[in-house]
Amino acid sequence: MARMKFLCDAERCIECNGCVTACKQENDVPWGVNRRRVVTINDGVPGERSISVACMHCSDAPCMAVCPVDCFYRSEEGVVLHDKDLCIGCGYCFYACPFGAPQFPQAGAFGVRGKMDKCTFCAGGPEKDNSEAEFRKYGRNRLAEGKLPACAEMCSTKALLGGDGDTIAEIYRQRVTSRGKGSDVWGWGTAYGRPEAPTAKPPGAAPGTPAAPGAKS
Amino acid sequence: MLLTRKTDSAPTSGPRMRRLAGSRISTMDRRTFLKRSGLAAGAGAFASQLPYGVIGPAEAAKDGDATKVETKRTVCTHCSVGCSVDATVVNGVWTRQEPVFESPINLGAHCAKGASVREHGIIEHSHRLKTPMKLVNGKWQRISWDQALNEVGDKILAIKKESGPDAIYWVGSSKHNNEQAYLMRKFVSFFGTNNCDHQARICHSTTVAGVANTWGYGAMTNSYNDMQYTKCAMYIGSNAAEAHPVSMLHMLHAKETGAKMIVVDPRFTRTAAKADEYVRIRSGTDIAFLFGMLYHIFKNGWEDQKYINDRVYGMDKVKADVMAKWTPDKVEEVCGVPEATVYKMAQMMAKNRPSTIVWCMGQTQHTIGNAIVRASCILQLALGNIGVSGGGANIFRGHDNVQGATDVGPNPDSLPGYYGLATGSWKYWAGVWGVDYEWIKKQYADGMMEKSGTTVSRWIDAVMYPNDVIDQGPNVKAMVYWGHAPNSQTRGKDMIEAMKKLDLMVVIDPYPSATAAMCAMVRKDGVYLLPAATQFETSGSVTASNRSLQWREKVIEPLFESKPDHTLMVAFAKKFGFDKELTKNYQMVKDKDGWDEPTPESILKEINKGTFTIGYTGQSPERLKLHMKNQSTFDVKSLRARGGPCDGDYYGLPWPCYGTPELKHPGSPNLYDTSRHVMDGGGCFRANFGVERDGVSLLAGDGSYPKGSDLTVGYPEIDHVFMKKLGWWDELTDDEKKAAEGKNWKTDISGGLIRVAMKNHGVHPFGNAKARAVVWNFPDGIPQHREPLYSPRPDLVAKYPTHDDKKAFWRLPTQYKSIQEKNVADKVSEKYPLVLTSGRLVEYEGGGDETRSNPWLAELQQENFVEINPKDANDRRIVDGEYVWVQSPTGAKITVKAMVTDRVGPGTTFIPFHFAGWWEGKDMLEFYPEGAAPITRGEAVNTATTYGYDSVTMMQETKTTLCQVVKKA
Amino acid sequence: MARVTQLAAIAFGAMAALMLAGCGERPQVIDYKQGKYQGKPDEPPYAAAPFNGNKDMWERDIRNRTQNQNEYRRIGS
Repeated sequence: MARMKFLCDAERCIECNGCVTACKQENDVPWGVNRRRVVTINDGVPGERSISVACMHCSDAPCMAVCPVDCFYRSEEGVVLHDKDLCIGCGYCFYACPFGAPQFPQAGAFGVRGKMDKCTFCAGGPEKDNSEAEFRKYGRNRLAEGKLPACAEMCSTKALLGGDGDTIAEIYRQRVTSRGKGSDVWGWGTAYGRPEAPTAKPPGAAPGTPAAPGAKS
Repeated sequence: MLLTRKTDSAPTSGPRMRRLAGSRISTMDRRTFLKRSGLAAGAGAFASQLPYGVIGPAEAAKDGDATKVETKRTVCTHCSVGCSVDATVVNGVWTRQEPVFESPINLGAHCAKGASVREHGIIEHSHRLKTPMKLVNGKWQRISWDQALNEVGDKILAIKKESGPDAIYWVGSSKHNNEQAYLMRKFVSFFGTNNCDHQARICHSTTVAGVANTWGYGAMTNSYNDMQYTKCAMYIGSNAAEAHPVSMLHMLHAKETGAKMIVVDPRFTRTAAKADEYVRIRSGTDIAFLFGMLYHIFKNGWEDQKYINDRVYGMDKVKADVMAKWTPDKVEEVCGVPEATVYKMAQMMAKNRPSTIVWCMGQTQHTIGNAIVRASCILQLALGNIGVSGGGANIFRGHDNVQGATDVGPNPDSLPGYYGLATGSWKYWAGVWGVDYEWIKKQYADGMMEKSGTTVSRWIDAVMYPNDVIDQGPNVKAMVYWGHAPNSQTRGKDMIEAMKKLDLMVVIDPYPSATAAMCAMVRKDGVYLLPAATQFETSGSVTASNRSLQWREKVIEPLFESKPDHTLMVAFAKKFGFDKELTKNYQMVKDKDGWDEPTPESILKEINKGTFTIGYTGQSPERLKLHMKNQSTFDVKSLRARGGPCDGDYYGLPWPCYGTPELKHPGSPNLYDTSRHVMDGGGCFRANFGVERDGVSLLAGDGSYPKGSDLTVGYPEIDHVFMKKLGWWDELTDDEKKAAEGKNWKTDISGGLIRVAMKNHGVHPFGNAKARAVVWNFPDGIPQHREPLYSPRPDLVAKYPTHDDKKAFWRLPTQYKSIQEKNVADKVSEKYPLVLTSGRLVEYEGGGDETRSNPWLAELQQENFVEINPKDANDRRIVDGEYVWVQSPTGAKITVKAMVTDRVGPGTTFIPFHFAGWWEGKDMLEFYPEGAAPITRGEAVNTATTYGYDSVTMMQETKTTLCQVVKKA
Repeated sequence: MARVTQLAAIAFGAMAALMLAGCGERPQVIDYKQGKYQGKPDEPPYAAAPFNGNKDMWERDIRNRTQNQNEYRRIGS
């Protein structure tokens, strides 16, 4: 069963913003609406990492949980979409989302987009697939064409992966095995107590303390 | 405030929007809010002009039932990586773009610019130059093409009549495709002047000169793809993550599979963030660092002695020089890098071979650029890395076709194919063009035909200098900026004066460019803007940095009233009376308006006919198109097709692709590779500098030769004498003999000499020689460090002074020592203590007007900024995000936003060079034609840059000058 | 007797009118089900051409297409 997911490999992301403009171009996103953004930490110093963020299409989406008019739904493939005709623009989903995915364009200047807008995983919305109405309201429906989100397909270094979760995991796994590191950005090293360099100590372990359960020496 | 469902239409005005928005989000401060919602400079003004003009398939097919849906394969128009794009065109409207996963170069990947090229096909709210325009009394007026061609043509002819053809300067473009660039050189020659140039001058001219003079061809030796075989890559003066983002796909894959990556740069760039090792050096001190590495390499015996014996001349002299001059203490004094670090980098490069070196503007844009690039070459020669897969000198070129334009386009010092300007070259090309040599000669002013023209980096001096010091008749009186921006050249303040003085300025470009605004700011008339079509509105071939040629299909018809550049060249040629000569060998068609257009295919065939020197002969349009259709059959690492219709070819037939297309040479993916047969893409170093020097042979050592060659020793280049001596003359057909008699491999129009030498005997036509570590035709035979003209270290200026002034260099007196000494005497480095360097951003390209007119890109970088180290900022009480003045020793000052960051070290500042449209604090919006100003505008860093030119190629010294940054009162 | 019938008839008529009025009216309060999507229905991505409802074909295509983002497939190691 295909479950759609995004994964951005921070070892590869070079903050080229290809994903950002690919989304803008493919979905005709107006100025001021940032469906996808690249976030950089430690900008300009060793340890600089970038990661591309848009809607994560959560399994238990906070936006869906808090919406007062219940305009959200999840497709079978795990894509979180919403109905702009129902949306009242209250912004509650914007508060709830940990990733800042919901966007609110200025009133009146953008035609039908005066409602909450967000990444759709290039799956359009609740209008007829590939119709003009769907395009104008929600952007392109690439999934219905058998394609994947434009951002992931156009990523300059193939850092941003988007598609079936199992396949993505496999792709990422191959990279990590090949390079031998990289997942420490998400705390694998901390979680499993495995130091990055042979001489480094695991965080917090004083000499003589018993090893934490599951930790490898 | 209820965001109601859509109603009608009239877009709200700026202030009202802000008020509404402000009332909703009261906790966020206005600045953050403006930044977040994009209502910063520029956005408010055009909020009602959003590019909402995407037409879905349904709308495009409104009229009529027959919906024509086509997919056109093209190549991105921005950088030299050459990413393929599939454009979906519905009834002639460009509706979508899709990634081309099959391309072996980019595998579907794009950066921000490539992912948004579809904007070039959007008509609504386009910022293109839509019609011909004329500056009348300080205002832009629309005129017809007829009027434009006639007025401009007449004015040019009048100036030519009064002051000679050299009074008109034609700046061509690295954004022209090969056919247009080549036609431009021909056009300018028939017009009668060598005063032409293009962006390569200010990009990699030093590379081409330095590298060609070291071992044969001045181009990237390997390829982006080949870097996947490297074990260690050193990026010195290259910010590939921003300038060539998709190249990082190959590098990061290599890194993942074990390669090491070193970045040497004054800034901790985004590329450095991906490196295993980062070294911060002072801008302009690359020679100290490279030779510091070489010191350790020699000291520890890590050099490849056999390789040096067989294939390098003069390394012993270099060794003596390096061991004496570049001891660790001196290295650290000059470039600031301690011995341990230099040693470590040397060890990494030496112990992880094949290792490669990558450089860009960081090495080229200096007064000693030619020497710096040669230092890199020498390092690679010492390590035996040249001609090896995974090694090489991987020079990443800039614009999409700067390589092609350099190869066959408007260079002031040579004809297409680097044939030079000697009589022999002229006669050769006259033969190829089917034109009488004497007729061409008559077009030129006396004695000017074989003299190099002035460079684009100095055109302003050709206009402004007193006539008695310039080496041509009258001064330059008219400028034609044909596909080139002005804000990428230094000395903006001087440029504006030159613009005032010109009799005529003509801009031929898809966008008005900053030239239009600058001229309208200081002039009332005498300026014309002619709309050119983009590369998506024509077909043609383009040469990527790795020398592969790709064929672009025409996506859409030229929008608005624009015309493709080659059509315009023919139109002007008609006006000037040489269209028959210009288009003699071409197939002419009529475009949709009835104008005469030569087909790009027929122009490429003429290029194939004549460009033997660099092997542009095998890349026929048919072969190139076949490659584009069968991209998936090419292996990504080796670029070779395995099976399929292109079996055996290397992707894009990277030049040199010797001989006629019938010879079916597969192209040369890695230059100088002796492990391959010459018909398999192999090669050796070029014999271009004689047979011996000071008693030492310049030919390759015995036993060093391309695999499978009948000649196992070094030899000079092939000519008819050579062939006869070896007894191979009779292998030529009778027709070939007729053509080759008395000729050499470069002038044998039949290609027979090449065919027999390569196919029958595995012999390389340009000879088999040694690379020159020491050259004798450059100011410094062995690269020497010399301080920049505006150096922050007067103490080092005394130890490493610059060159002597030159009286006539590319037709102009060029100062070096006099300026440097004056700077020291005037204590310039005390008043302007910060080094100012400039460079690229990933969102924009070149002068920037094209990319800053794309809203999807413009939104990402809305203001120009200066990166300043926290220490320097605090010294000046400058806070992150505030506007400051950057002051230059020229008296110019520009205002940019301060970005306080550790990316730059103390004492260095950085400003991107893509901005234009502000002049010393004033927005130039009013000076652009209506509706054609870029969305984001900012100060051009080059308004504040200074004098300084490379001692061989007149490259401008943009990477290191001085400035002071002060708080805006 | 006639008076009772008259009254009964009136009462019956009034009651009938009331009941009929009840049938013709719409509920004044939306019957809101918390937590369930209230918007327009959406089709799954494999509904339209070229998949025409074939979910397996779509999933297979998507899995294959995802590999385009994996340069290892084309390059090897």
